[in-house]
Amino acid sequence: MQALQSHYWAVRDYLSPVLKESKFKEHGRITPEEFVAAGEFLVYKFPVWSWEKGDASKARDFLPADKQYLVTRGVPCLRRATSLAYTDADEDAERLLNFGDSSTSGEADEWVETHAGRKSHADSAPGVIDDIPDLDGEQELASGVNALSLGSGGAEETPNLDDIPDMEEDDLEEKDEATATSKPSGVVDASNIEVAKGNLLQVRTYDVMITYDKYYQTPRVWLIGYDEHGKPLTPSEIFQDISADHAHKTVTIEPFLHSTSLQAASVHPCKHASVMKKVIERMNNSVVEEQLARRKSGGSTPKDKESKKKWPFARKSSGTGKDEKPAGDEEEVEGMRVDFYLVVFLKFIASIVPTIEVDSTTSF
Amino acid sequence: MPLVQFAPFSSLIHPSFWHELTNLKIDVLRLSDEALPISGSYSVGRSVTDRESGSEIALACNLTVGSESFDKEIKASPGTILASGTFKNYNTIEEFKAADKAALFNHEVNKIWDRIVITRDTRFLNHFLLITFADLKKYKYYYWFAFPAFVAKPAWEILDDGWKDATEEFSAEQLFKIHEQLRSRSSPLPFFLIQHDASIGPVEDFASFFGSTPTERPTIGFVDPSAHPTNPGWPLRNLLAYLRALHPGSSSTLRVLCWRDTEIPISSWKSRVGVIKVESGKQQETDERPSAVGWEKNPQGKLGPRMADLAPMMDPTKLANQAV
Repeated sequence: MQALQSHYWAVRDYLSPVLKESKFKEHGRITPEEFVAAGEFLVYKFPVWSWEKGDASKARDFLPADKQYLVTRGVPCLRRATSLAYTDADEDAERLLNFGDSSTSGEADEWVETHAGRKSHADSAPGVIDDIPDLDGEQELASGVNALSLGSGGAEETPNLDDIPDMEEDDLEEKDEATATSKPSGVVDASNIEVAKGNLLQVRTYDVMITYDKYYQTPRVWLIGYDEHGKPLTPSEIFQDISADHAHKTVTIEPFLHSTSLQAASVHPCKHASVMKKVIERMNNSVVEEQLARRKSGGSTPKDKESKKKWPFARKSSGTGKDEKPAGDEEEVEGMRVDFYLVVFLKFIASIVPTIEVDSTTSF
Repeated sequence: MPLVQFAPFSSLIHPSFWHELTNLKIDVLRLSDEALPISGSYSVGRSVTDRESGSEIALACNLTVGSESFDKEIKASPGTILASGTFKNYNTIEEFKAADKAALFNHEVNKIWDRIVITRDTRFLNHFLLITFADLKKYKYYYWFAFPAFVAKPAWEILDDGWKDATEEFSAEQLFKIHEQLRSRSSPLPFFLIQHDASIGPVEDFASFFGSTPTERPTIGFVDPSAHPTNPGWPLRNLLAYLRALHPGSSSTLRVLCWRDTEIPISSWKSRVGVIKVESGKQQETDERPSAVGWEKNPQGKLGPRMADLAPMMDPTKLANQAV
């Protein structure tokens, strides 16, 4: 099934023409050239992103050889997306807490605790993989995915390191007091975060890739995740970091476009164009308004203040190295520039993976 | 004075590394278990602000290997520092278990020490060791990293005011200048010396860099993979060993800049600075190699290997099930 589908996609991808004409404001799609331009801007403004050339045999000829896709590594993910959703389930039930000594003062402080069941969930020991909540009507899918998880996947098939205890050699080297205490990297001790009330944070990291999807003519996001010990995440673990609206529906594990062997989780781009169109429309309107206002006010006066705030829209892209033109009469009201497309796109992706900090652009 | 405690490297292996190893094992290495040169990379330590609690959380002090690690002509991508390593893959789990780890480790440590005392260059200070066993049929990869670091005896201590924000001792202009110089170099500088006017130079020039007037506490800097406020990263250890071995007279008190800013920061500089001290006089003979530590601990906190199970991401049958 998977193979069939992949082949179908490959053929469809091969047959679909390369988009030539810029249409990003009309329907949210971009051309490869615009993808490169937007990528250049992203790399320039946010150097955590960089271009990759990928596997030479998989190179797409409509993109420059050394600019096949964008990547940023080690994107932190502090919490599971599943912990954000507010559900009707028991875990969100409220209960009364009594902090006073109940035997002496019955009327003492009582507090309502919400999410009463949440705590045990958040405190679950590192390494324990919680089941993904089943979605109605998707029992089959969910059980299929659960079968993949380490816990239920047949214990004899997945020996973990405890099975080879004779390899632990604690006498291999002497104890060294100049080594910082090895708390598992990324797991934050409860005492360090008072506000989080003793929740253990399992800080996962993700490598995030953005490729250009020729068929849908939009960027496409790919994720490879690691747990706090640097161990690669399984598909079911990755789904914990995807908002419930999208997990199992639009996110799948597929062969990564620019590698011969790598598998990665990918957000399917079939809805990207329409969502991007809406977002762009909204942003474009405010940008056009601002540009008009600026023109009316006679060019140079408010330039400093306003363009500082909204400059990415108004400027002749600094990503391509052009200087800002004076906001005089000769300048067309052009609205949002396509250079900004990927920055907007990342904000949209951030809503699908709410706990993965893909959007490093919040400083705007 | 409190002891200086260094944040150890933790390994991060990109899945493409295992793919590349699989190909290499089948097509090139076959049954050979010769040691191969590889390379890894690290960059400045990163931290993230937790939106729920507002606290700053330091991410792991990572040394990363990927498919490019086998590439002999590898070039560091901007903002990263390359580290050389020795890689050894065993054919069976029994051989992997039975490997003489102490001998392997000592061999690498000797190489690092020889580079310090003979060629006197700093390029080998981050040298690491990686041993693996690849169970190709089950997509399971057993591995164990060692990041050798020399143990200073007596140990380094930090002055009582501890590690501080770099801005407390450096002006913004000075930090800009350091940033600019680090960025403009064709090959990135993992370790450097800093003048009063914030000009920087390679550590190999230690004897001449500070001029004829002997400085009481020379300022050294290094690209710091740690983001912990009070723990400098692992690379500093071998840099200190290097300075103690080659310049024992003028390196007993040092001001250390832990460089943690690849980018000009939007709000505040992340780099840290502190003055560290070692009791001179009691030092051991310089030409005698100090002992070294550095095997990576497993997730249970014990000295033991780790395993990456890539079956969920590589095994065709599992992938087919998942794609219902």
